[in-house]
Amino acid sequence: MSSKAPKGSDNVTRNLVIGMVALVVAVGAIFSVISNKENTSAALPSSVSQDDGYGIVFNGDLTGVPVVDIWEDFQCPVCARFEQTNGDYIEKLIEEKKAKVVFHTLSFLGPESSLAANAAACASDENKFLGFHRAFYQNLPAENSGAITTDYLVALGQGVGITSDKFKSCVANLDYKGWVNNVAASGGESNVNSTPTVFVNGKEIRRATSGADLGDYFDPAAFAKAVEGK
Amino acid sequence: MKKAQPWIGLLARLILGGVLLVAGYLKAFTPDKSMMAVRAYEILPIWLANTLGIVLPWLEIGAGLLLIIGVGIRFAALFGSILMVLFIVAIAQAWARGLSIDCGCFGGGGTIDPSQTKYLEEILRDTGLALLGLYLLRYPLTKFALEKNKSHEQTPSQGE
Repeated sequence: MSSKAPKGSDNVTRNLVIGMVALVVAVGAIFSVISNKENTSAALPSSVSQDDGYGIVFNGDLTGVPVVDIWEDFQCPVCARFEQTNGDYIEKLIEEKKAKVVFHTLSFLGPESSLAANAAACASDENKFLGFHRAFYQNLPAENSGAITTDYLVALGQGVGITSDKFKSCVANLDYKGWVNNVAASGGESNVNSTPTVFVNGKEIRRATSGADLGDYFDPAAFAKAVEGK
Repeated sequence: MKKAQPWIGLLARLILGGVLLVAGYLKAFTPDKSMMAVRAYEILPIWLANTLGIVLPWLEIGAGLLLIIGVGIRFAALFGSILMVLFIVAIAQAWARGLSIDCGCFGGGGTIDPSQTKYLEEILRDTGLALLGLYLLRYPLTKFALEKNKSHEQTPSQGE
């Protein structure tokens, strides 16, 4: 502690540092808040409804049937397990018009989740969302390993019969990036705190409470019962 | 002991500041996850939890930087301690209510498998960090701090 150090300059340095730190905090926080806001002018894929939390809707015109909202992240291994357990049943619900099903593709696990969600929206424009969705989970790459690229997603699309150039450019140019963010914002508003999260008629189905318990999520019979209410 | 004090203070600054900086940095660029982590505590209304999930990581970064650089130490230490106490309360209530969540302290967070919860470790760690903050609040005079003239709080004889 050199008492000779001019106190004035010490105060200037102090205030300068505090000012800079405050600036970093303010700019970072404000930028984050703005970039997480819903963008109402974002391009929406076909069959997306803003009223359904920007989800991709199947059988949106049906009334008097259960409404199944599925919140997932393409990179989430538990979502892949959910798809393997209940995917056939869910597709059957859609085909036989027994339920309105809404897929919400979140992207909180990382940038590669956003790429996948965008590509799924592109596939939805080609009426191939379900096929893409299934194929993606069957080949789920390791989380954020860099495996999910434009080429990977285009090839996956080709595997389920999407060959148009429009799909390629949609995947490569991230046409639905704004929509992906809107789905994420809507997940926050719906209080979705993990994936998969499934709501039937607005109420979350039963989650497992212990290691041995499968809950409604991973027991096909229990899941069907939760959907059909029987 | 008197001689060791500034060195202990330096260590406290670097640990508390380092943890805050890293914890903030790991969350600041994954706001979706961070918002989810705050919501999962099921304490705050959703809009407030989401706002906090975005803003809190940046505040942690700010407090961490101040502690490491050594400016506004008492203020940053007080902020860090209060934050840790709030975390402990939040984690304890989640534990008591039987929620299965990750604290989301260093990114991650949200609902997890009941077998993966680590409430006790999280509470003990945050208690330790809160104590470091309190130490700095009591003895803000530390080695290698940019700001020197705060020392009057410890050595009034030097005069201001």
